[in-house]
Amino acid sequence: MEFHRAVLDNGLTIVAESNPAAASMAVGFFVRTGSRDETADVAGVSHFLEHMVFKGTARRTPFDVNRDFDRLGAEYNAFTSEENTVYYGAVLPEYQTDLLDILGDILRPALRGEDFDMEKNVILDEIARYEDQPAYRVYEKLMGRYFDAHPLGNSVLGTPESIQALKCQDMQAYFDRRYSPGNVTVVAAGKVDFGALVAKVKSMCSGWKPYEVSRQIDPAGANPCCQAIVDVKVVREHIALMSPAPSSQDEARYAAGVLATILGDDNGSRLFYALVEPAIADEANMSHLSLDGTGAFLSFLSTDPARAAQAVRITREVFAAFLEKGPSDSELQAAKNKIASSATLKGELPMGRLVNVGFDWVYRRQYIPLAEQIELLLAVGGQEVLDLARRYDISAVTVLGLGPAEAI
Amino acid sequence: MAEDFFVREFPNGLTFLGQRMDHVSSAALTVAVPTGACHDPVTGQGAAAVASEWCLRGAGRRDTRQLNDALDALGCQHSESVQSEHILFSAASLGRNLPAVLDIYVDILLRPRLEDSTFESCRALVAQELEGLEDEPMQKCAFLLRERFYPYPLGRSIYGTTESLRTITADIARKHLHRGLAPRGAILAVAGHVDMPKLCDQVERLLGDWPDCPTQAVETQPAQGGVVHIPKDSAQVHIAMAHAAAPMDDPRYYAARLTETVLSGGMSGRLFTEVREKRGLVYHVSTRYHSLKSHAGMFTYAATVGPKAQTTFEVILNELRRLGDGIEPDEILKSRAQLRSALVMQGESTHARSSALCQDWYHLHRLRDLAEISDHIEKVTVADVLEYLREFPPRRMTFLAIGPTSPDVAALNAQ
Repeated sequence: MEFHRAVLDNGLTIVAESNPAAASMAVGFFVRTGSRDETADVAGVSHFLEHMVFKGTARRTPFDVNRDFDRLGAEYNAFTSEENTVYYGAVLPEYQTDLLDILGDILRPALRGEDFDMEKNVILDEIARYEDQPAYRVYEKLMGRYFDAHPLGNSVLGTPESIQALKCQDMQAYFDRRYSPGNVTVVAAGKVDFGALVAKVKSMCSGWKPYEVSRQIDPAGANPCCQAIVDVKVVREHIALMSPAPSSQDEARYAAGVLATILGDDNGSRLFYALVEPAIADEANMSHLSLDGTGAFLSFLSTDPARAAQAVRITREVFAAFLEKGPSDSELQAAKNKIASSATLKGELPMGRLVNVGFDWVYRRQYIPLAEQIELLLAVGGQEVLDLARRYDISAVTVLGLGPAEAI
Repeated sequence: MAEDFFVREFPNGLTFLGQRMDHVSSAALTVAVPTGACHDPVTGQGAAAVASEWCLRGAGRRDTRQLNDALDALGCQHSESVQSEHILFSAASLGRNLPAVLDIYVDILLRPRLEDSTFESCRALVAQELEGLEDEPMQKCAFLLRERFYPYPLGRSIYGTTESLRTITADIARKHLHRGLAPRGAILAVAGHVDMPKLCDQVERLLGDWPDCPTQAVETQPAQGGVVHIPKDSAQVHIAMAHAAAPMDDPRYYAARLTETVLSGGMSGRLFTEVREKRGLVYHVSTRYHSLKSHAGMFTYAATVGPKAQTTFEVILNELRRLGDGIEPDEILKSRAQLRSALVMQGESTHARSSALCQDWYHLHRLRDLAEISDHIEKVTVADVLEYLREFPPRRMTFLAIGPTSPDVAALNAQ
């Protein structure tokens, strides 16, 4: 494994982890923008723009974009979150330059009015699709409730009303504010030819004009409460819980990952034994959401509506018991083994490494080889995990339920 | 890069398959036991799903917690799933830990505790998952369509029904497992950084005397097929339809995969282009190939809001049928590139490889290397796909919609 880095004159950074033994390679354009960077009048524009990026450029129609990717046999897509928009593709190594030719091109989209109007229908359908997924709805509502007025509470998809009202020129203005080369990182992993990578990115992206981009990083305030949102059309009770946690930049993120695994891994965690093994919930898990300047622990439960309140009570008891005594040695070791093993498996695929290397750079301007990350993880101690749980007070949860239950 | 395969068939009917992968440090294990949902007892539908949970509730000298702890201590990621024909146990860890993981799985296969005290919660979990399908209409659509499309009971829902689950007792599930957890037809596949001959010896030592037990063929009835609308007050209308395809052991299999890719590969496939890109009718539309041992289908799914459902259905049907009128050489070239590339990328994952080994052995009774598959893909021509479409036309389709309304599908049966 070898790490490489280059910066173009306009501020665009290129980073790559090259693995000569890999059979494929992956490239991503990581744009540091998402729903937290939106104002209320353009809610959903980051995600809508992600769709529009595939709608062609000065030299490609939307159909050309799709066809050119597919001709390479590329696996490609994009995703938008609260704070990142990532466009990526994976190909056989011989197609590295061809893949960059498309990605580098579409990142300066034409944003044509007729494509915008057509794609608006697709976005509205995507919103309707999530409407039928209560597990997603409760997450979105919880983010809004927990972060309250903080922009991290903004919905990624927006609402049917905000999307209907959005105009193509609003999107262009947002693009012109957020897609500066200094706000974009080109990341590559797998069997990468770094010299050729830099040459191609240079030829595609050197002409991008730089400008100042900023993100407001205000402290996020937790908002502990417990509420059931009644929706009788939903059959199960979908419950989400959130509490403060270390940020992406915080070294305590390793301990936070261990804590979430001990308490809420899908198999063999405390929530598993307290809720899933006795069939009080058919799903109970916890994860650490590491964000820019803040973080959160997020848990999900799916239960019979009649047992929703019991499930929430047990979850609180699990958290309280942990705050009392912390983890046992074997719990600690098991959690670390599981995380290390999962990172190793992901790390064997160029797409898995792409995301890891990319976010290490976007959030921390740092490259940490996988072996070193695993060492940092293995060094986490039980007292450290307990101190973290107490410092952030995992019992101070914001809880939302969505489903038929009147109360949780 | 030629694959390093290892095959060993034991007298009791168990097959061990291995693929050595030197450039990774992990290894993945897949065990396919031929006691999937289609083998569920008539009075105990959902038994395989309950059983797959129950097998992990203690085995040999370990109770549930000790079993989980032992797997966790090895950094083993594992899951259990039920398909029509098999229960699948999947596990992955560092290659050096895999022999120890295998020891634990031998306990799960040979000595599951199956205690009365752990049964009820396994049954209740499956009942909850079944209920949870109501909140996931896309998945529910897929389950119900498969059930009606395949000859009964081959596509039967793995969860059974609320009523059938209620009737399963610990005795019924135990009896079912004692018959079903047997070596005849079982496949144990490992891919990754492992010493295969040594692992094979371990399998022989531990599972070589797993007592053989005759398997019973599944008696099938004709598929139900037809057109169904399940009313639901959902935001979208979920539309799903299926028609017959060549199974994996059929010489026309590769033409089937090319057909699927022309229709629905990447974002330039015909369905995505016509339904989403040109008309903005949906967010999701796709056709996926699925094969059982002797039956296979093309399953098409789309979801849209009510007022667009009729047009969506009509455009999809038109695209499925128009394919037989002609295909551009460029579409075939592109589809070949997509299939080949996907193959190489799957070849990087130990988990994907161990499950592909199982599939090859089950369907073809041999293992295909990358070169062979690539060669087959390369040889499929436009004429082959058109010929395939004449033999497997999108006719006599099974149709299912979930939502407040359903499109008028009279055109399905029009010639």
